[in-house]
Amino acid sequence: MLTLSHYLILSLLLFSIGVAGVLTRRNIIVVLMSLELIFNSVNISLAAFSYYLHSLTGMVFVVFNITIAAAEVAVGLAILVCVYRRRRTTNVDELDELKG
Amino acid sequence: MMEQVFFYIFSIIAVISAISVISARSAVRSAFYLIITLMQVAAIFILLRSPFLAAVQVFIYVGAVMVLFLFAVMVLDIGREKLVAYMHHQSVIAVPAVIVFFIMGAYMIIRGGWNVSNAGFPEAALAKSSEVIGKEMFGRYLFPFEVVSLVLLIALIGAVALVLRGREKDKQC
Amino acid sequence: MLLSYLPVLIMIGFVSFMAIAVLLMSAVFSPKNPYHEKLIAWECGLEPVGEANKGRFRVHFFVISILFVIFDVETLYLFPWATLLADKSISGFIFVEMIIFVAVLALGLIYAWAKGALEWV
Repeated sequence: MLTLSHYLILSLLLFSIGVAGVLTRRNIIVVLMSLELIFNSVNISLAAFSYYLHSLTGMVFVVFNITIAAAEVAVGLAILVCVYRRRRTTNVDELDELKG
Repeated sequence: MMEQVFFYIFSIIAVISAISVISARSAVRSAFYLIITLMQVAAIFILLRSPFLAAVQVFIYVGAVMVLFLFAVMVLDIGREKLVAYMHHQSVIAVPAVIVFFIMGAYMIIRGGWNVSNAGFPEAALAKSSEVIGKEMFGRYLFPFEVVSLVLLIALIGAVALVLRGREKDKQC
Repeated sequence: MLLSYLPVLIMIGFVSFMAIAVLLMSAVFSPKNPYHEKLIAWECGLEPVGEANKGRFRVHFFVISILFVIFDVETLYLFPWATLLADKSISGFIFVEMIIFVAVLALGLIYAWAKGALEWV
């Protein structure tokens, strides 16, 4: 029988893969894709909690979460286009001007 | 029983393609693997008895967000850079740390007594998932719903302003 | 209730199987006779210079797709709203709610229009 733990483990697995992607990749657009993976893992766990705990709040929250993810991707990629236009690179190691 | 089999199929495909996302060399391949992962997550949503969320997942993520990613890959001309070293040098530390994090989290989930099984809503309420979610959204969550429109407005204005600002200076791009 | 989604899964599985099988069969069974003139991109004798993705992709496509994403999210909220409109007791109230929502986003559309994001030059 499927329990809540199954879904939470799947969510944790996708979250870990997303964090590994953020930490290991150099190309900033792949880093943004890993952020999408993290968003999806959070959505899975919210929907699972909502289903197993008889509450609709989680499902509504997933809808809002997807909206925020879409807005984040739009703004993030726009910033990326700006940065690329100025610096001609998408490598996260070269974008360290704000480092103290 | 059947449900369990399908859950394992979807999860295995999702995890394999998620690993492919972060290990593929070219960004276009990462994007296509990410599409596979998102489709599997939509299937998981159907297993969680929320078909509206599955439709939204396919509709927003696969239909819109991935198009944006692919356009960004094309605008940024990433194809040239795929032969430089694509992994960060800190991955020697990062990958074991993430694995340790996963093991600790899984231990906590398994030992934490989250074994609620087979609860769920009555099937009749789930058959019209979008109505139920809509009632909740336009009733209790009315204020967040209106704030979402402001968030979208700010995202739209910010993104358009950022992209169009440098256009005059830099005609060829 | 889950069983009603089985046809969708069968459809997706069948389509994926067909796509993979067609590619695999054409890779396995096709006759292979490669030589240099056949492998270059243009068979009329011109040597290709650089890669196909070298050409700059216009950033205007990107602006259009940003607008597409934002208004796609707007239609996501129109779906549950439309299912609730049949209910006479709340339909007037939620109609006004949605009008406010669309009006706020219309401000963004006006901004994009004024900035010239919709013009195709």
